[in-house]
Amino acid sequence: MPQLNPSPWFLILVFSWIVFLTILPPKVLAHTFPNEPVSHSKQKPQTEPWNWPWH
Amino acid sequence: MTLSFFDQFMSPTLLGIPLIALALTLPWVLFPQPSTRWMNNRLLTLQNWFISRFTQQIFQPINLPGHKWALILTSLMLFLISLNMLGLLPYTFTPTTQLSLNMALAVPLWLATVIIGMRTQPTHALGHLLPEGTPTLLIPVLIIIETISLFIRPLALGVRLTANLTAGHLLIQLIATAAFVLLPIMPTTAILTSILLLLLTLLEVAVAMIQAYVFVLLLSLYLQENV
Repeated sequence: MPQLNPSPWFLILVFSWIVFLTILPPKVLAHTFPNEPVSHSKQKPQTEPWNWPWH
Repeated sequence: MTLSFFDQFMSPTLLGIPLIALALTLPWVLFPQPSTRWMNNRLLTLQNWFISRFTQQIFQPINLPGHKWALILTSLMLFLISLNMLGLLPYTFTPTTQLSLNMALAVPLWLATVIIGMRTQPTHALGHLLPEGTPTLLIPVLIIIETISLFIRPLALGVRLTANLTAGHLLIQLIATAAFVLLPIMPTTAILTSILLLLLTLLEVAVAMIQAYVFVLLLSLYLQENV
């Protein structure tokens, strides 16, 4: 099986880690997400009763 | 030189240049830099959605200290899924069929999770070697078995990905050869074989995505055990 040929093993290891550490993370980090996550508080917000100010 | 079906997995070289270098550097052209505009094009929007949903899915069950791994595991997912999917195109080389690459990814990452566990919470990490409720007499045997299963993890991670992709590519080549050879002799059988080939290719697309996901998911589980 040619995959078991040990000669390019170290080169493939080094090269794949170089690509994995230098090219990919900047591409992932470049994506920004518009909404910041908000932690939910367990209590429901206190609301005051209000009337439509018709007039 | 007689060709065998395994020759497609030889690391290709052209005039002494290893082409695996191209196979590892060119796929990232498909991930463009997002612009500063409020809305990007379809490709970027889809990639953005995928990255955010994937990161959320994987890290939801993981304790807070493990969230430092978000960047590396998401990069790993993009790495594997792109390489796997692009390898299904004709005349492409799939670097993830190389055992060297998969072991190169699996062993250091697994080792990192184990070392993190041993350094920050050694008792908790070692406690995984003994499942709860074991009968007293079985304890020594079970610890040995669990240690073996712990050390087999990186091997399993690497070989699982290699074997799945290699087997898939091999099957595609075999059935395609069969369909091609049968075409002048028994056209109907050739058409049936072609339909089989189509279904197999669809399966391989699914396998490509699933295997990438499983690799990253298992690493996240190993991380969760140790963090």
